[in-house]
Amino acid sequence: MERLDDEGQWIVMMGFIVAVSIFFLALVINQATLVGQTTAEGVLEFPKSEIRDLQSEVYGVVEAGNSATLREDIRALELARNNALVNYSAVPEIKSGTTYNKTTIHFNNGVTAYDETVYL
Amino acid sequence: MVDDDAQLYTMEGIAAAFVILATVYLVAGTTSIYTPGDSHITDMQLEVLGNDVLLVMDTPTEEGEENNLTRYLRTWNTTDFRNEFGSLLNDRTAGTDDTLQFAASVSYRKADGTVKNENFISSERPTGYEQAVRVTRLITIPGKPTGVGTPVDFRNVPQVVMLEVLIWRD
Repeated sequence: MERLDDEGQWIVMMGFIVAVSIFFLALVINQATLVGQTTAEGVLEFPKSEIRDLQSEVYGVVEAGNSATLREDIRALELARNNALVNYSAVPEIKSGTTYNKTTIHFNNGVTAYDETVYL
Repeated sequence: MVDDDAQLYTMEGIAAAFVILATVYLVAGTTSIYTPGDSHITDMQLEVLGNDVLLVMDTPTEEGEENNLTRYLRTWNTTDFRNEFGSLLNDRTAGTDDTLQFAASVSYRKADGTVKNENFISSERPTGYEQAVRVTRLITIPGKPTGVGTPVDFRNVPQVVMLEVLIWRD
């Protein structure tokens, strides 16, 4: 073999293509891991239950006379234990002859902000 | 110079590429990789379960009645709380009970405005190495709890306290 044998170049090239394909597949699998983790973490971190709990408690407190002490309790507890800034206010408003408490609830834990206005 | 001497080799190369790709596809498809994200799925389950249990206990059985959660906290009744929470958490439709454990604590605002967290009851002493999730529930109680073991620095006025429960699988 004195001269350079350049047969089989296609085989070499196919080898490269296969290698690149496998590398690409590995990248896709790698991304899937990351996506699964961030999705699950997103669901875990989302304060759905905290907001529902706050709603039900605030509705009860407002309908029972909207005590300022209870509001301070709720705000202090949510801040200290759930890392959430919480506030709410209730203003009486007459709609069609009936007096309602126009209640606005604010919830913000740094990631999720939630505001609602409801007539109680 | 282009010639067609190695056509068979080329076809063999393409065939080999397909065989390798098919094999990799099959292998990647049949093995399931346990990712960090998958471990959070069980955490999500625990969180939903815990919040549901607290919601059930915070709901009165009849309109106008006091719900069980408020009664247990108002009277600092740790035994009944442990029994009801434990059974709601671990009961299954059929077969043996689940093996979930929990540790409950109560946070309340003291007279000086600071928030204090006090242990309520736990089904098992936590070691600190549990993969636990935390669920919370706000509860309005009419005054200082009356039962034995009530922390002394509770204010004796109507107040909102926060029940916090750590839940983990044993």
